[in-house]
Amino acid sequence: MLKLLVKSVTLTIAVLTLTGGTAFAQSFPTRPVELMVAYPAGGSTDIGARIVASIAEKILGQPMVVVNKGGAGGQVGWTDMARRRPDGYFIGYINLPATNTVVLDPERKAIFNVDDFVPIINQVLDPGVIWVRADSPYKTLGDLIDAAKKAPGTIRAATTGILSDDHLAILMVEEAVPGATLRIVHLVGSAAQFKEIMGGNVDVAFDNVGSIVPRVRSGEVRALVVLDHERSKFLPDVPTTKELGYPTVISSSTRGIAGPKGIPAAVVKQLADVLKKAMQDPDHVQKMDTAGLAVKIMTGDEYARYYKETHDKAKKYTEWAKKMEQK
Amino acid sequence: MDSLPHLLAGFAAALSPANLAYAFAGCVFGTLIGVLPGLGPAAGTAILIPITFKLDPTGAIIMLAAIYYGAMYGGTITSVLINVPGEAASVITCIDGHQMAKQGRGGTALGIAAIGSFIGGMAATIALVLVAPPLAKFALSFGPPEFFALMLLGLCLVSGLAGRSLSAALMMTALGLLISMIGIDPVRGAPRFAFGIADLYDGLGIVPVVMGLYGIAEILITVERPVQEIIRTKFSGLLPSRDEWHRSWGAIARGTGIGFFLGLIPGIGSIVPTFMAYIAEKRISKTPERFGKGAIEGVAAPETANNAYANAAMVPFLTLGIPSSPTIAVLMGAFIINGLTPGPFLFQERPDLVWTVIASFFIGNLILLILNLPLVGLWAKILHVPFKYLAVGILLLCIMGAYSLQQSAFDVWVMILCGVVGYLLRKLDLPLAPLVLGLILGPALEKSMRTSLEMSAGDFSIFVTRPLCLGLLIAAGVVVVGAAFKLAPRQLRDSEAQV
Repeated sequence: MLKLLVKSVTLTIAVLTLTGGTAFAQSFPTRPVELMVAYPAGGSTDIGARIVASIAEKILGQPMVVVNKGGAGGQVGWTDMARRRPDGYFIGYINLPATNTVVLDPERKAIFNVDDFVPIINQVLDPGVIWVRADSPYKTLGDLIDAAKKAPGTIRAATTGILSDDHLAILMVEEAVPGATLRIVHLVGSAAQFKEIMGGNVDVAFDNVGSIVPRVRSGEVRALVVLDHERSKFLPDVPTTKELGYPTVISSSTRGIAGPKGIPAAVVKQLADVLKKAMQDPDHVQKMDTAGLAVKIMTGDEYARYYKETHDKAKKYTEWAKKMEQK
Repeated sequence: MDSLPHLLAGFAAALSPANLAYAFAGCVFGTLIGVLPGLGPAAGTAILIPITFKLDPTGAIIMLAAIYYGAMYGGTITSVLINVPGEAASVITCIDGHQMAKQGRGGTALGIAAIGSFIGGMAATIALVLVAPPLAKFALSFGPPEFFALMLLGLCLVSGLAGRSLSAALMMTALGLLISMIGIDPVRGAPRFAFGIADLYDGLGIVPVVMGLYGIAEILITVERPVQEIIRTKFSGLLPSRDEWHRSWGAIARGTGIGFFLGLIPGIGSIVPTFMAYIAEKRISKTPERFGKGAIEGVAAPETANNAYANAAMVPFLTLGIPSSPTIAVLMGAFIINGLTPGPFLFQERPDLVWTVIASFFIGNLILLILNLPLVGLWAKILHVPFKYLAVGILLLCIMGAYSLQQSAFDVWVMILCGVVGYLLRKLDLPLAPLVLGLILGPALEKSMRTSLEMSAGDFSIFVTRPLCLGLLIAAGVVVVGAAFKLAPRQLRDSEAQV
């Protein structure tokens, strides 16, 4: 009798879960979707998130709310996302390679791994750029490299944070040109870089195109090189590392949307479709252009592969950075 | 005078209906905080930060700044009527203000306090407009080593001046710096003192800590005090007589000067200027025996000085990013929450915001004059609400405020724990201000020191080979040594240690 009762209860629960499951997949979303940004409001990631969310929510039929969970260079937000229920109602930005290096740096003691996130769709690929003050003696990348070879470890080069894409980019330059070492100064963000460059406290900055376009146009600073295969449409006069013969120095900050591991495949697809439509919307394209953010849509396997490749590349340079410190 | 167009644009923005409403709301809240004895300006500002979350940054800052200087006005009312300072800066006002109330001249005392506050606040803001832009421009040439030295000087001033005992103040500064290191290392990204607790990765929030140290602790202290008798005053004779006015104007002028110049020095605290102004008046008075028996100068001078001080303290805060009191440290927290970093760069990056906020100081002072002169009777009525009800209300506000910061119960526990700690520290007569300033300046101090060392590839000589940096470090050393040998003026040392 008891056995029968247990069986029937189990069966009922199973049936309920199954029907509940299908009903859920069909009717997603029934309530607002949260879109997490692991940085404070006002940054490049946040700007992109708010542009796409405002368009995507019209297609989705439910509000898409941007939630800023900044702190600890993104780690606070990503830790939160990894712990969330994988039902599609909580998705968030992963910033490559920052998300990767947080995982890869043992000092960070991250409680999540790259596999804890399902990549959904990429929005922005912001290439790296090397820039100096307008009156700097370095007119080209060649000038900088020559100077670095002549006096290794004396030219002060600013990143936007330890193990950021900019830090990795410096390591790529040092790898491509043996002997040309820079004195790395870790600053927090683009505003701090601009202040210290203008004040003459650092000599050269590694950042992303999106952060410096207005200042290049105003003539306050000079971009030496864009770390990409092709020229940036925002800086058409600036050569690329590939053109100048450094094809291994390719670096970018790539921002896309992911969710916690375990989101039903149908929901991932639905979200990817909705977000893709939103990103192809002329309104999105125009607003991102104005903000100086280069859109690069990647979904499905393509994005998953990019995520994996970025991780492997980040791993190599993170390990190298750690090894250099021990010397 | 290239700041005039900026200021006019600031006025245009500050006079928009929305910003005017924020300034007005801030003044009302500020006065309320000043009136309520269980709630000082630091805790009050902290509690009200969450309600500004939905506002744009400019509106939020306007409102919080108005709360800050509004509290300086409101604190007088309780000093005069029940002999209990509504906030610490009104301690000295009790002496003559309460005597005046006993003699039936309470209305005049409140009247001259409001007028003096208005004049002091306005004059200090005008001076701020003149002094701030060149100072900010100068500070732009500061690199990480100079900022490190500047912040160290700020902490030394706080430790050297804020307490009766230098060793106690240094201990509290060190404790504040230690607490500020909880969370992710600003350079290496490694968690420190977090013990695997994810809530600690971002460090302890300044707002829940201040709410606890000042708000909760203040309530615990106030509960212990006996209930005071409230003097009912007629508020008909608010304006001083010809004779009283004649006595007061000199006091107001000197109070403005003393308040403004002391406001420029970080770490003085809001009490010292009021003491200095009071003592100055007593010294130069031809009839010093009247002081303590209801002399109107004894109300006019300190009240003017504390508002001049409050507005002048905005100079080091806006131009250098150095908060000179716990309340301004909370205000700095609000800037940071809104993605703004106070300091010379803010003048360049967001002149619109800076000048709108400065313009709102003028408007706020005018609003406060209106709120305090004709409506003072209304505020006095609040004092008739029994403290037991107020205490519950304030506690509720604190808990809701701490929770709503980031919808985290963890912050509520942090606040409660800090409340208990704050109560114990006050009982032990240990100063809280150095702790709070250590906590808020800690991360920037550490970051600028480590960036400096990255610039020099680990060579400490970078701090002594740059002349400006060396000068600031020597000044910091002089302050600490001076405090150790008790070289500071006696009044500075003997004034209340708590802020």
